[in-house]
Amino acid sequence: MRLDDKHATTCARMVKMTLTEKEAEKYQAELQDLFDWVKQLSEVDVKQVGDCAAVRAAYLRPDVPVTDEALSQQLVGAFSVQEGNCAKVKKVL
Amino acid sequence: MKTVFEIVQAVQAGTLTARQAVQESLQKIKELNPQINAFVEVWPEEALKRAEEIDARRSRGEKLGPLAGVPIGIKDNILYKGHKATCCSKMLANYVAPYNSTVVEKLLAADAVIVGRTNMDEFAMGSSNQTSVYGPVHNPIDFDRVPGGSSGGSAAAVAAGMVPATLGTDTGGSVRQPASFCGIVGIKPGYGRISRYGVVAFSSSADQVGVLASDVKGAALVLETLCGRDENDSTSLENEVPAFSQNFTADLKGLKIGMPKGFLDNLGEEVKEKILASAEKFKALGAEILEVDIPHAKYSAPCYYIITSAEASSNLGRFDGLRYGYNDEKAADLNANYESNRSQFGEEVKKRIIIGATALKSENFEECYLQAVKVRELIKKDFEKAFEQVDVILTPTSPTTAFHLGAHKDNPLAVYLADLYTCQGNMGGLAGISIPCGEDKLGLPVGLQLYGPILEEEKILNAAYHFEKGL
Repeated sequence: MRLDDKHATTCARMVKMTLTEKEAEKYQAELQDLFDWVKQLSEVDVKQVGDCAAVRAAYLRPDVPVTDEALSQQLVGAFSVQEGNCAKVKKVL
Repeated sequence: MKTVFEIVQAVQAGTLTARQAVQESLQKIKELNPQINAFVEVWPEEALKRAEEIDARRSRGEKLGPLAGVPIGIKDNILYKGHKATCCSKMLANYVAPYNSTVVEKLLAADAVIVGRTNMDEFAMGSSNQTSVYGPVHNPIDFDRVPGGSSGGSAAAVAAGMVPATLGTDTGGSVRQPASFCGIVGIKPGYGRISRYGVVAFSSSADQVGVLASDVKGAALVLETLCGRDENDSTSLENEVPAFSQNFTADLKGLKIGMPKGFLDNLGEEVKEKILASAEKFKALGAEILEVDIPHAKYSAPCYYIITSAEASSNLGRFDGLRYGYNDEKAADLNANYESNRSQFGEEVKKRIIIGATALKSENFEECYLQAVKVRELIKKDFEKAFEQVDVILTPTSPTTAFHLGAHKDNPLAVYLADLYTCQGNMGGLAGISIPCGEDKLGLPVGLQLYGPILEEEKILNAAYHFEKGL
């Protein structure tokens, strides 16, 4: 897998992070080394492995809303900026 | 410092008060922590108050819990209500846990005394405890060396005698490798044995809470206290939890130990020598040593780095600074706000998020992520097949002993490869334990690792117990 020259920077933007020039240069080289190393996985014959996306039903439970008022208040209280029961965020545009 | 069992027995018998046990621990922390940096925060008043309550209950004739008066440290990614839990990251610098994790609830119900939170690699990503925002942890055996990671503070605290046991988390070896580097016992149970409710997620298909202790029996006692089904963690298992600390057999006669073919090929001479000597010792204790084949194990490390980084990029997506954590209030708009906040992650965390996002991109998904998930299935099958022939599997914990602080700084692949023996356990969901098996020429501990099937922690604890007793 060949990463393009600006991969570290563009991928960082995609996951809402910014990199300094120094970071981008360092990561770019390290990421390429890592993905070259990971390439060895492609030599494994995985035809015998079935569908890995199957979720075991036993692991699922219904979502139950939290009704503990005190806990709700504590969670809301952790918001950096709040208005009522909502986190207040900056304008989008 | 007394062992977990010695403290419990003495407190229950009234020959030692919980207050004395906790005071001794706090004193050790005060003396040694400035050099070692194992604890990032200690709660002395609260710990002493709790110890006094335990003593008062004993004097009233009340029955005490199985960990009565035992001072314990918890890794900084485990929530303890009203206390900071920062994952040793700037991102969560001021985060205070609003509820207790299940493991903390269980420790408190067992009358343990939590004395503080321990240092770790940021968000549990690292194997040398050098990525913490609180600075590195120093190995108590040689201050110029790393304690291992990511639960480096938890391991160093036990090795230095500050506490007899701590909790860590293990996603690729983060309990067992630091236990090996610090010369103590570290156990990661099978996937699903311990609830992860209230433990900050790194990689949900691999994370497990584990125990670090000064001896096998103590690790077994703390472990049995923590295991069991929890409605708040749908991956926790229903299965009955044996009394691990009470079920040691008289000897190891009939135990079949597997040694994987080719596992010692690229190992340094000193570690190799200790592992071979350990196998001989197991033989002398009555066990039989057999060769087993785990052909896909060599792919564990690349699988681990793809799968866990992909899961991390998703799990760490919640850290945007708006609901909790660092928030740059000067940012011009929401996007700038997110970018500024999330850029507070440290270097290793940022890198792993980018690795994960790259592996999950639609053009790379099949070749990279899906291939790793499928190879992981083959690794699991190899181990299942091996466990049809043997009871436990013996490997080194780490290919080396503790290295110098700052070593491998420019060679992250060398560090990733060092996880080879431990991350197999997380890829296979296995139970794994690291115990000391000797020292190299510099006096640094060498660890051996025993793997058992997912719900058979008893087998590895039993083998480890007899090995430790025979040392």
